Amino acid sequence: MYVSPIREPLIKGNKDYSQVTRDIMAPMAGKPSKYWYMGMALAGAAALMGAWASYETVFNGIGTWGLNKTIGWAWDITNFVWWVGIGHAGTFISAILLLFRQKWRTSINRSAEAMTLIAIACAGFFPLIHMGRLLLGFFIFPYPNTRDLWVNFNSPLLWDVFAITTYFLVSLVFWYVGLIPDIGTVRDKAKNKIRKAIYGFLSFGWTGSARHWSRHETISLVLAGLAAPLVLSVHTIVSFDFATSVIPGWHTTIFPPYFVSGAIFSGFAMVLTLLIVARKALNLEDYITINHIESMNKIIILTGSIVGIAYLTEFFIAWYSGVEYEQYAFFNRAFGPYAWAYWIMMTCNVITPQLFWFKKIRTSLIATFIISIFVNIGMWFERFVIVVTSLHRDYLPSSWSMYKPTLVEVGLYIGTLGLFFTLFLLFIRIFPVIAIAEVKSVLKSSGEHQKHAHHE
Amino acid sequence: MDNNTFILSKKVINISLIMIAIGLISLAYGYFGGLGAGRIAANILMNTFYFLGIALIGLFFVAVHAIAESGWQVSVQRIGEAMSRFIPVGGILLLALFSLGGLSSLYEWTHTEHLDAILLKKVGYLNVPFFMIRFFIYFAGWIILAWLIRKTSLKLDVDGDKFYFNRLRTVSAIFIVFYAVTSVTSSFDWLMSIDAHWFSTLYGWYVFSSMLASGTAVIIILLYVLKRMGYMTHVNAEHVHDLGKYLFGFSIFWAYLWFSQYMLIWYANIPEETVYFYTRLKYFNTIFFLNLVLNLAVPLLVLMTRNSKRMFAVLLPVSVVVFIGHWIDMYQIVMPGVVGKEAGIGLLEIGLTVGYAGLFILVFFHSLSKAPLVPKNHPYFKESIEYHTNY
Amino acid sequence: MSKFISAYYHDEEDLIKGVRQIRNQGIEPADVRTPFPVHGLDKAMGMKRSRLTRVAFAGGAIGGLIGFFFQAWVFTVAYPINFGGKPFFAVPSFMPVTFEMTVLFAAFSMVIAFFIHNKLGPGAKTIIYDEQVTDDRFQILIEADDLDEPEQQRIEKALKEAGAQGIQLTS
Repeated sequence: MYVSPIREPLIKGNKDYSQVTRDIMAPMAGKPSKYWYMGMALAGAAALMGAWASYETVFNGIGTWGLNKTIGWAWDITNFVWWVGIGHAGTFISAILLLFRQKWRTSINRSAEAMTLIAIACAGFFPLIHMGRLLLGFFIFPYPNTRDLWVNFNSPLLWDVFAITTYFLVSLVFWYVGLIPDIGTVRDKAKNKIRKAIYGFLSFGWTGSARHWSRHETISLVLAGLAAPLVLSVHTIVSFDFATSVIPGWHTTIFPPYFVSGAIFSGFAMVLTLLIVARKALNLEDYITINHIESMNKIIILTGSIVGIAYLTEFFIAWYSGVEYEQYAFFNRAFGPYAWAYWIMMTCNVITPQLFWFKKIRTSLIATFIISIFVNIGMWFERFVIVVTSLHRDYLPSSWSMYKPTLVEVGLYIGTLGLFFTLFLLFIRIFPVIAIAEVKSVLKSSGEHQKHAHHE
Repeated sequence: MDNNTFILSKKVINISLIMIAIGLISLAYGYFGGLGAGRIAANILMNTFYFLGIALIGLFFVAVHAIAESGWQVSVQRIGEAMSRFIPVGGILLLALFSLGGLSSLYEWTHTEHLDAILLKKVGYLNVPFFMIRFFIYFAGWIILAWLIRKTSLKLDVDGDKFYFNRLRTVSAIFIVFYAVTSVTSSFDWLMSIDAHWFSTLYGWYVFSSMLASGTAVIIILLYVLKRMGYMTHVNAEHVHDLGKYLFGFSIFWAYLWFSQYMLIWYANIPEETVYFYTRLKYFNTIFFLNLVLNLAVPLLVLMTRNSKRMFAVLLPVSVVVFIGHWIDMYQIVMPGVVGKEAGIGLLEIGLTVGYAGLFILVFFHSLSKAPLVPKNHPYFKESIEYHTNY
Repeated sequence: MSKFISAYYHDEEDLIKGVRQIRNQGIEPADVRTPFPVHGLDKAMGMKRSRLTRVAFAGGAIGGLIGFFFQAWVFTVAYPINFGGKPFFAVPSFMPVTFEMTVLFAAFSMVIAFFIHNKLGPGAKTIIYDEQVTDDRFQILIEADDLDEPEQQRIEKALKEAGAQGIQLTS
């Protein structure tokens, strides 16, 4: 397909197909670097802290947390929504950018999807652990039982069960189906018999047959078409957890698209944080170019601005509605006891992404890395502010209370960070980080030396 | 490529003038037939907002693709530019409506002697002077930015100079930001304040999504008409397919926002919010659900297959249905609050819409004739012609 | 064990030419294997559109109906409970789960059908004739069991014309 010469190449360095294979498979070969071991050690330590905190929670109860009346949700749900939000970027890149024919997604989709799966696993941990009686967690699924009881289909918490389960399973399938041809490549390049056997099994017998490829493209497209509304629906249903209530700051109709934008916003920030490091560490700068970074930054401005407009709309309508409770909720956020959290949120979410309007900042790796971290901090605080400030002071002043996290809650969060990085570091070693076959398919039209190609 | 200049034929002018005449006759019928100032004002507001919204989407289409650095739409870009020429016309009509008594017929908050406790609290925003200042800000911004985008697009077509390419991106970005804010506030001002006791934070985006779907439908319809006239020969099934995908996706997006707003208000069951839907479900029941059938069920089911999105034979009727469907959406937005039980769809409603359509067509085709139909020197022009995808 | 004539190309354009050449002579390749999906190859091989999309639609429809009517049954027949004054047949409440079931069933039915149809899956027995195919080679495989010498020569000539390399008889 013809590509205009004014476009930046997507793959630099005059690669050919076999070079692509070698470059992308290089991080999986040989022994891991010392940085990988250091990363694993740190992540492992964090995961251990999470293990301790889980033990405390399960054996000593939710009383080890800082929750009390009226703040029945705090760090647990904040973390849940934060992780689910982060997961959304992977699906956005795989599915929605595929539907929009954005070829630059081919170097980042594999790792972004892996990040999604890991993030969903981390997210799912929180609803489970906050149940208290974790071993009865299966109660949330509708199954015939001797108590004649079914689940409450009216409850957004139940909708969440279906949404997160579906999201995890469909993302897993989408990721794995895409991965199979690349596993075939790894299998065929493997010299070690055991390695060949394992990847052979995982490759499901992939041969590269053109008929299989054709059907593979068809199902990838349909999966993209399914995953696109799915990703919107998941964070929408998460937003319903709050918006279906009646308390000020929670019950507002803008939550669904506002949460979805916020999710994509934080998700892209996490992808950037991971890939800016990975591209350097794994020598993949020819594939994840500054152009890719810039495109992701543009999505950050877009979604960050949507979030900003949503904030403005909420304030305005809070005033316009004339409802004193709604007005107080926002006044309290900005000037009450949690004002510090609020202003961190506003600075990180509204101000920092706007810096990407400047090309110099958009194309600077260091600036992008720093801003991506701020965005993730800001989005954590956004969920914290929404959850805690609306709960700690709603309609009845005599019920107002305060909340402080305990070490156990902080430990659980750090544990999930540890789990996330541990799994991601493992992913880098076990599977190709970039979609080998997809990059090859755009090499001719968008690779560097193709700008001077004699046929297209 | 031949046929790069659109020639405004007498036939087109005559048809649109007849349509405008029908509109004026319907208006006169409404006035002299005693249908009431409320109903007349509501119809003028409804149609002006609808066609203005569609015109803004034409501009939005150009701007959004410019900043996304997309290539395929270059072949059909002029349609969006020409649609945007209706923006000042919409402004004049709205100004006329507001100046000639429309404000007091439409908005109860203008009756400052009878304001209840709730409306008194909103006086800082809902007062005529501030309302009109905002009106002028919206139109000044939209008109200036539309003019800048058009001018830059034409300059870019002279020789594809990268300077104008970058400038088009910059001006488009400014427009998108301005439009993002003003589309929300203008729908609050002109539509939501009809039911001034009610509020919904999603309202602005909901109305925007409605315009987005119907604007896309109108682009498809106009493209079809142009092709029937023998123009736009380079436009093939690939371009149509992309427009079809947009129509499909935007219709689902609209339905998603419709559901979000409705379900959340239904679920919490707070009387000051549910009152909005109460009136609609009680007195506008058929219209209320017809809205969903035309705007969700039809595009979702009919446009699901790949081929349906590539053929005008299917895409055109669906676009027409969506266009009518979002008119119905506008009807249930405006009429219940202004006219209430006595509302109906009669000669005034249909005739006036025909009149507006005629005016829109006249402005559109006139603008189209003022520039080469295809921006042949645009840097992405070749991409836009030689493009085909596997999916 | 069947015998195949195997040839490979270094470039996908040449592969497409080769496939066309072979098919023009009335020979259908047993298989064409590539490292990535090649646009235009579908047409060159005369492949029909996949019916997997219909499986997805059917699966999704079934999932949606199951989801919706199950909820309706639970709430109206099995154990109706008054939740906050909502009606038993609470259509807006049923929509999220219905939607998720639709997507879940559509995705899984289609992907399972894909694996079954292609005979791929954990432990599938497939033969890799050229390990470079998953790297940078584009391979054509033609059944050679019922071919006599002159036919084989003809085929090899046709393949060479489009630039094929490594033509050999394998099994």
